[in-house]
Amino acid sequence: MLSRVADNLYWFSRYVRRAENTARLVGVGSQLQLDMPRSVRFAWRPMIDTVGAGECFEQCHPDAGDAAGDVDVVRFLLLDERNPSSLRTSVDSAREILRGIRDTLPQDVWEAINDLHLYIGAQGERSLSRRYRIEFLARIIDGCLKVSGLLSANVSRDIGYQFLRLGTALEQADMTTRIMDAGASGLVTPRNEDDRETFQNMQWMSVLRSVAGYQMYRRHVRQRVTAELALRFLLQNNEFPRSVHFCLTRAQSVLPTMPPRPGVDRHLNRVIGLTRNADPAVLAARNPAQFMDQIQMHLCALHDAIAEGYFHG
Amino acid sequence: MDWAKYRTTTFDELIQSDGRPRPAARRLVEYLAGLSGRELAERQLAADVVARVQGITFTVYSDGRNVDRTLPFDLIPRIIPLSEWQRTEAGLKQRMRALNLFIGDIYGRQQIVKDKVFPAMLLKDSVNFRAQCVGITPPLGVWAHICGSDLVRDGDGTLYALEDNLRIPSGVSYMLENRMVAKRVFPELFETSSILPVDEYPSQLYDTLAALSPRPGDTPVIALLTPGVFNSAYFEHAYLAQAMGIELVEGSDLFVADDDCTYMRTVYGPKRVDVIYRRVDDLFIDPEVFLPESVLGAPGLIRSWRAGKVALANAPGAGVADDKVVFAYVPKMIKYYLDEDPILPNVPTYLCHNAKERKYVLDNIEKLVVKPANESGGYGMLIGPRSTKRQREKFKALIEANPRNYMAQPTLALSTAPIVTKQGPSPRHIDLRPFVLSRQDTYVTTGGLTRVAMVKGSLVVNSSQGGGAKDTWVVDLSDQEGEDG
Repeated sequence: MLSRVADNLYWFSRYVRRAENTARLVGVGSQLQLDMPRSVRFAWRPMIDTVGAGECFEQCHPDAGDAAGDVDVVRFLLLDERNPSSLRTSVDSAREILRGIRDTLPQDVWEAINDLHLYIGAQGERSLSRRYRIEFLARIIDGCLKVSGLLSANVSRDIGYQFLRLGTALEQADMTTRIMDAGASGLVTPRNEDDRETFQNMQWMSVLRSVAGYQMYRRHVRQRVTAELALRFLLQNNEFPRSVHFCLTRAQSVLPTMPPRPGVDRHLNRVIGLTRNADPAVLAARNPAQFMDQIQMHLCALHDAIAEGYFHG
Repeated sequence: MDWAKYRTTTFDELIQSDGRPRPAARRLVEYLAGLSGRELAERQLAADVVARVQGITFTVYSDGRNVDRTLPFDLIPRIIPLSEWQRTEAGLKQRMRALNLFIGDIYGRQQIVKDKVFPAMLLKDSVNFRAQCVGITPPLGVWAHICGSDLVRDGDGTLYALEDNLRIPSGVSYMLENRMVAKRVFPELFETSSILPVDEYPSQLYDTLAALSPRPGDTPVIALLTPGVFNSAYFEHAYLAQAMGIELVEGSDLFVADDDCTYMRTVYGPKRVDVIYRRVDDLFIDPEVFLPESVLGAPGLIRSWRAGKVALANAPGAGVADDKVVFAYVPKMIKYYLDEDPILPNVPTYLCHNAKERKYVLDNIEKLVVKPANESGGYGMLIGPRSTKRQREKFKALIEANPRNYMAQPTLALSTAPIVTKQGPSPRHIDLRPFVLSRQDTYVTTGGLTRVAMVKGSLVVNSSQGGGAKDTWVVDLSDQEGEDG
C-alpha cells in the first residue's frame, strides 16, 4: 500500500462520514425547529460553531450576527464551497480524492459518490426550502450509507481497508463530540424559565436522533432522556457504533493489523482514558463544551501521529 | 431510424453508394431501421447517462480550471468485416516488428544509416532521439511495447497508416468502455451477431509488462506511472491500473536508492518495483537526466533503467520513430529489416528535405496538408485547400528555411460513418486507432478506438477539439452467411 494511497483512503472515509453527519445535523435542526412551540426561540447559529466554522461564517456573512437566518445557515452548512466542512465540500473532496485512487476501490463506490455529487449540483438549491429539505437530506444520508455499505461488503480486508476503518472511526468520534456540543450549547431558549428543562431534554432527544441513536438509546438505557444519560450514552456506550468510546476501541482494534507505530498507540490510549474517566453527571451540570474541545484536540493529535507514522513515508 | 435519405459524398463504412448497407452492416442497419426516432433518442440518452455515471471522462484545461468532460459517444457502431481486419492486423504487426528493429538499430550499430537506406541527416536533427539511450539493449530487444497507430480510409476505400504513436499513446480505455456501453444499450445485437470481444486487452498488456521484469520467477511488482489527476488521460491511467491490478503511482511515490533499484514509498516502508508502464513523457521522467525542473518523474529512474534494475515501457527513446518524417520510411524499413512487402500502405508522403519532393510540395501546396515533423494534436499544420494565400506563403518560407522539419500529404477524403442526430442518421468523418503490444510476439486489439469528428464536414477527430467516439465492431460474417443464404 502506497503511503499516498493510504492517506487518501483515510481521508476519503472521513469525508464521506463527515458529509453524512453534516446532513444529519441539519436534518435535526430542521426537525427541532418544527417541533418547538412559538414560546421557544430557536437559533441556528450555535450549530455553525459546533462544526468549527464560526470564523468562516462570519467572513461570508459579516452582518448576520446571532440572528442568522434559516436559509443563510443551511446554505452555508450544506452548499457553500467557502465552508471547508460543508456537505458539498465534503462530497466533492471525497470525489476528488477518489478520482486520484479510483483503481483501489470498486467502481460502484465511484458511481455512488459521483451520483451524490451530481445530485447536490442538481437539487442542492431546492433543499433550502423546507418543503424539500428532508427529502434531500434523506437521499444524501442514504447515499453515504450506500458507500459505507459498499466499502464493508465489497472491499478486501487488506491494509487499505484498515485505513478506511481508521478514518471512519476518527471522523465519527469527532463528529459525535461536535453533535453533543451542539446539544448542550442551547439551540433553543425558552422564554419561560420553568420550561427550560423540558425543552432541553427535547433537544437531547434530537441530538440522539441526529446520530440515529434514539432507538438504540431506548433499548439500552430505557429511562427518560436527560442530559446526563444522553451524554453517558454518546460518550461511553460500548455497543452503539457512533459513541465516542466505541469508535476509539474500533480504532484500537485496527492498529494491530498495521505496522506498529508507538506514537499512534500512545495518543490513542490517552484519548480513550479521557473518555472513559469522564463523569457525565458533572458534564451535564456544567457546560460540556470545554470537555468536548479537549477530546477534539486529542483526536487532532492522534491524527497527526497517524499521518506522521504512515503517510509521510 | 430512416435510412432513405442517408447519402455521403465519400466512402461510408456502413452504407454503400447505392444506399444499401454493406454486408457486414446489414443486420445492424436493419435493426436500427426498426427503431423509432424516439426509441433511438432514448437509447442515446441511456448511453450518455451510463457514460456520465461511470465517469468516463477526459480532462481539459479551460478558463484556468481543469474540467472533466464526458467524451461524446455515438450509438451507431462502426463495423469492420473480420476478413478485412485480419489483413489490417497482419499489416500492423509487420509495421511494429520493423519499427522495433529500427529503434534498436538506431541506438545500436545504425546499420540502416550505414547502408544509406535511412539518411543520417534525419537522425541528427531528430527531436525525439535520446543520446542517453545509445548502447542499451532493453529486455527482449523491444523498445516500443505499446503503440497506437492511426489508420484512415480514403474515398476509394483504401485503409492507410497515417501515423504511429510510439511515445505514450492513449485512448484504449475508451475503446473498452465504449464496448461496455454498447452492450448495455444493444444487448439484442450482441446475442445474435458474431461481434468479436475486445476485453482481452488489459490481460495482454499485463503479460506484456510482466515479461519485462528483471526478476523473473517472482510475481513482478508492476506500476503505472501517471503525471497525476490533472493529466487529460488520468481516467485511462486509473482505469488500466485497476483493470490490471497494478499500482498507480506518481513520481513522488517513487525513489531510486544507492543500489540503483527503484522503490515505492509504502506504509510498510520501501518496496522494490520491477516494471513501470510510464505515461509520463521522456523529458519529464527523470530530472537527473532530462528536464531538471520536472517533478513528474523520479530522480535516478534512467540510472535504474540503464542498470537493468527496472524495466520501462515504452523504453525511453522509443519516440525516435514517432516522427512524421521517419514515418515516411516505414515501408522501406519493412523491406530492409523483414524483406517483406508492406501489407498496409502509408498515406503518400512528400518529404521536404528531398529536393524533388520539396519542389512538388511548393508547387502544389494548395492541394496538400503540410505538417511539422514532431508536433501532435493537430498543431502547426497547414491545410492547403482551406488556407489563405498569406498562410501558404508563410509555410513556403518555413519549408525553405528548415526543409527537414516538414512533410506534406494529399488531403484525403476521409471515410464517414453515420451518427444519430435529431434529423436522422448523418455522415461524419472518422479514423481508427488500433493498439499494438510487442513482446516476444505481437498482439493487436480487435478493431480499436474509432474517433468521430462530431461537427458536420469537419476532419478533426481529436477529443480535445470536440471529437467523439464510437464502438468498433469486428464482425465475423462466416456464421451469418449460412442463415442469410
